[in-house]
Amino acid sequence: MFLVLENVVKRFPPRGGASEVTAVNGVSLSIEKGELVTLLGPSGCGKTTTLRLIGGFEVLTSGRILLDGVGIDNLPPHKRGMSMVFQSYAIFPHLNVFENIAYGLHVQKVPEPEVKRRVGKVLELVNLVGYENRAPNQLSGGQQQRVALARALVMEPKVLLLDEPLSNLDAKLREQMRSEIRRIQQELGITSVYVTHDQIEAMTLSDHIVVMNQGIIEQIGTPEEIYRHPSSQFVANFIGRANFIPAKAKSVQGGEAVVECFGKEFRVSAKAGVTPGTMGVLVLRPEMIWISEREGVFKGVVKRSVYLGNAIEYEVAVDGASLIVMDTNPRRMKLYPPGTSVTLDAYMDLAHFLLA
Amino acid sequence: MLAVKRRLQEFSLIGRDPVLALSLIISALFLFAFIVFPIAQTVWSGFFNKEGQFSLTYFARYFDSYYGPVSRQIFLDTLTMGVLTAAGGTLLGFIFAYTIVRCRVPGKNFLHILALVPTVSPPFAIALSTILLFGRNGLVTKGILNMSFPPGSNDVYGMDGLVSVQIITFFSVAYLILRAMLERLDPSMEEAARSMGAGKAHIFRTVTLPLLIPGIAGSFLLLFVEALADLGNPLFIAGNVTVLSAQIFLAIAGEYDYQKASALAFVLLIPTLVVFLVQRYYVSRRSYISVTGKPTGGLIEEKEGWIRWPFIIVTYLVSGLIVILYLAIIYGSFSKAWGIDYSFSLEWWKQMFARGIESILDTTFLSILATPIAVLLGMIVAFLVVRKQFSGKQALDFTSNLGGAVPGTILGIGFVLAFSTPPWFLVIFMYVVLFLFTLGILKATFWEKVATGIVGTLLGAGFFVVGARIGQVLLTYLISILSLGFGVYLLFTRPKKKNGVKLVLFGVYGALHTLIEYVAQPLMRAANAIPEGTWKNAATQFPDYIQVFFKLPHAILGCVLIILIVTIALQERTSFRRVLIPLFLGGSFALIFGGKPMALVGTPYIILAAFAVRSLPASVRSGVASLQQIDPSIEEASAIMGADAQYTFRKVTLPLIMPAILAGLIFSFTRHMTSLSAIIFLVSAKWRIVTASILSEWEQGGISMAAAYSTIIIVFVLIAIGILYLVSGKMLKRRGGIDITWGA
Repeated sequence: MFLVLENVVKRFPPRGGASEVTAVNGVSLSIEKGELVTLLGPSGCGKTTTLRLIGGFEVLTSGRILLDGVGIDNLPPHKRGMSMVFQSYAIFPHLNVFENIAYGLHVQKVPEPEVKRRVGKVLELVNLVGYENRAPNQLSGGQQQRVALARALVMEPKVLLLDEPLSNLDAKLREQMRSEIRRIQQELGITSVYVTHDQIEAMTLSDHIVVMNQGIIEQIGTPEEIYRHPSSQFVANFIGRANFIPAKAKSVQGGEAVVECFGKEFRVSAKAGVTPGTMGVLVLRPEMIWISEREGVFKGVVKRSVYLGNAIEYEVAVDGASLIVMDTNPRRMKLYPPGTSVTLDAYMDLAHFLLA
Repeated sequence: MLAVKRRLQEFSLIGRDPVLALSLIISALFLFAFIVFPIAQTVWSGFFNKEGQFSLTYFARYFDSYYGPVSRQIFLDTLTMGVLTAAGGTLLGFIFAYTIVRCRVPGKNFLHILALVPTVSPPFAIALSTILLFGRNGLVTKGILNMSFPPGSNDVYGMDGLVSVQIITFFSVAYLILRAMLERLDPSMEEAARSMGAGKAHIFRTVTLPLLIPGIAGSFLLLFVEALADLGNPLFIAGNVTVLSAQIFLAIAGEYDYQKASALAFVLLIPTLVVFLVQRYYVSRRSYISVTGKPTGGLIEEKEGWIRWPFIIVTYLVSGLIVILYLAIIYGSFSKAWGIDYSFSLEWWKQMFARGIESILDTTFLSILATPIAVLLGMIVAFLVVRKQFSGKQALDFTSNLGGAVPGTILGIGFVLAFSTPPWFLVIFMYVVLFLFTLGILKATFWEKVATGIVGTLLGAGFFVVGARIGQVLLTYLISILSLGFGVYLLFTRPKKKNGVKLVLFGVYGALHTLIEYVAQPLMRAANAIPEGTWKNAATQFPDYIQVFFKLPHAILGCVLIILIVTIALQERTSFRRVLIPLFLGGSFALIFGGKPMALVGTPYIILAAFAVRSLPASVRSGVASLQQIDPSIEEASAIMGADAQYTFRKVTLPLIMPAILAGLIFSFTRHMTSLSAIIFLVSAKWRIVTASILSEWEQGGISMAAAYSTIIIVFVLIAIGILYLVSGKMLKRRGGIDITWGA
């Protein structure tokens, strides 16, 4: 319970013709010391606003934010002991790399030898030794990003905030920096809040993911919890791909349920609070279905087949609906062309039942 | 209720950063005191006669049978002049812009500079040189063409001459706006039209022109306002035509009738304010071309010869005319008797230095002194407007622009009306605002604040009574000694010396308020000992200049004290604060209300305020433009690394807006040196301004003297521009130079 948000609400007053906007609508979460939590969601879901509220760049409309048990709502950004890596890096164009990183230390009037030591250490950490005297406009995007990170880390912050720091980088660099950031974060043990709309980033980096939509939290959980047991269709659709199959709950027991769909009954995992007799959907991930030469669960016709290299993706029409099937077995690499009638088998016990 | 709560919350946000709150208070007070209040005074006075009774006399004159026709004619002529100048100026500006951006014309930079020359010269320079060349005794009209002008014939005086002169004087504004727009017009739009089969004329009509309409409309409206506000040119060259600005001037200079002047000023204010609002809030919002966009429009080239050549020819002709006009001024100042004897003579320059050196020195000194004030204030307002959200932000922005948008005569009249005698309303308002601000910003319980307030007021009354007894001079010494005492105490007892130093410095400054005379008087005696002539006249100014730095009006000194105390109190322990604040609130009360608070007419301070008010919009605009180009996350990055607003401003924002500041310095200085209408009523025997001197020389027929004065203003401005370009070139070598068009 290191960083706690209690029922945080942020409303923006109507300005310039637009009406009032509730960007964050009752967000509560609790982050442990040393963990990296990602706020994940589509544009406009409130994740960046939440981050800015934590950092102090916006003022709460209502609710509380506590750091180590102490309320920090009334503190301006420069008194919160946090650091932030901005999406645009926000490197000071008129200072060189060393001066950029040392900026916060100079504000605190840290003696110069100490400054040199700490900046040197953090430059090593981000692999930019030797770049001290470069001007920002002489740096590549990835290098600028590492300067921004170094600048945040050298402050030894209580909380590190990152606002989509990788979105301006190309794909390969993004992958590289992703693991760098995670490695450094774990090595230093800094509590971090990371904002992104990229689910792969979220899955790779996070101890916990907070999925947000339209100002509220849809689900908080580990990457596996979110993927395997999404709590809503939104979450299921946002992380990975999902097939939604209409089904009816027959009986519920603990975290499992017996459901009926396509005329058959299956035992699947289920969200708590499902009552028997309710209609819902089964979340079935594409990689849990494959085309079977023998018996199967569904029968359908192939509409589309795409060879991806590491898998084959099919769209199969089953009973009026379309199921996405991802065949990843390197052995079973037979490409069924569109129009073929096929039988689909699936790991139905891995399906997850949600209310509609 | 919720709205009020939200507003208070907003202000408490700013209160989190006291330095920011202080900047807001200082700029808001300045704007209120020197823009809103004087303009309100002007408007108000048009409705009351000398006895103080409500009177619509001068408004009724528009409708009666005796005064009516003349009054209406003046109004009509004013509007006609405005429309013609706006139309002509916009057209000329467009031709220049089109030529420079799209026609491959040799000497682009030369033409660009020439187009801007009218902005750095006194407002009536063109009128002066037009008369020199084309007047009744003009070099061209009489000397070369040997024309004569019997009464009734069409000479250069009158509406035609006035509009022509105004077009040349003001077209630069249109040129800059339209050039910027043409440069940012995305070539792909015209290419897309071409690829759909549209011909050149069709593209121009349906694509280019509509995209430029906001620029054209904006220029038209701006030029209209400039023409209406113009005082110098109509006085020189309008002949039998009278326009409102001249009528207002004559109402005071000739008739001493402030009610009439104010009423007429109100009539002038309406169209200028309406047009200003339309231009700012309607036209400029509808721009389809981004001001901060990339200048790729220069890639479009005008290839049709039949368009290119006329444009180039007109542009060069007008440029040539501008060169000749300015050469005429310079030559006019050096010719023995213009119109009769054109031989070279230094006579006029000698006379100017002998008689006018005080005027020249006063103007230059005050212009220089007002420049950092205007630029600093402009940057503060720009920062508040761009980076902060608070109720009344629009009002702050609008008011800062108002100072330059209203015709200067209206401000000038307002200053005289407001500051000839102590403006008690304003003084009380200022004190109350600062008083409430002081109590509000401190963290204390409600009752503590009330108690502090009451004690402060009582002490204030006490000091005031004491001050009435012992006189302002001794009172100032008393408060200075108190300040010194506390300052020394703080220096010895606190680890951080800053606050002690502040109080000590204030104490010393307060003491110098009177003590400086012991420096000034011997200097003055020494200066008086110099034999009669230019050097004596020059030397006797300097003791006065030294005193300007120290003889701040007591009311302003009091306000400074309150602000100083607030900055100190915020860092001090509660027990000490309980003594500090009431004591010095009381002291400032006595300083502010004693004597003749804010009766600034006749002092150099009112001229400084007038200068600053007039050049403020340019600084604000260039500050806003450059701040908008800085990513806000840069300042947020600084904040989250522990820097408060002040540190961020000093170490991050300031270096990045330095180009805009330098541009602002150039513009402000230029504007100060060439001001006429705002300061014409503020000059006194002790503080003289060159532009006003030119006017009086001209009235006495000393056209060559007028030319000499004009030349020297132009020279000083060019020197200043040169120095600033040199300095900025060295400072900003890494980041490219500065653009003089910022702030236009």
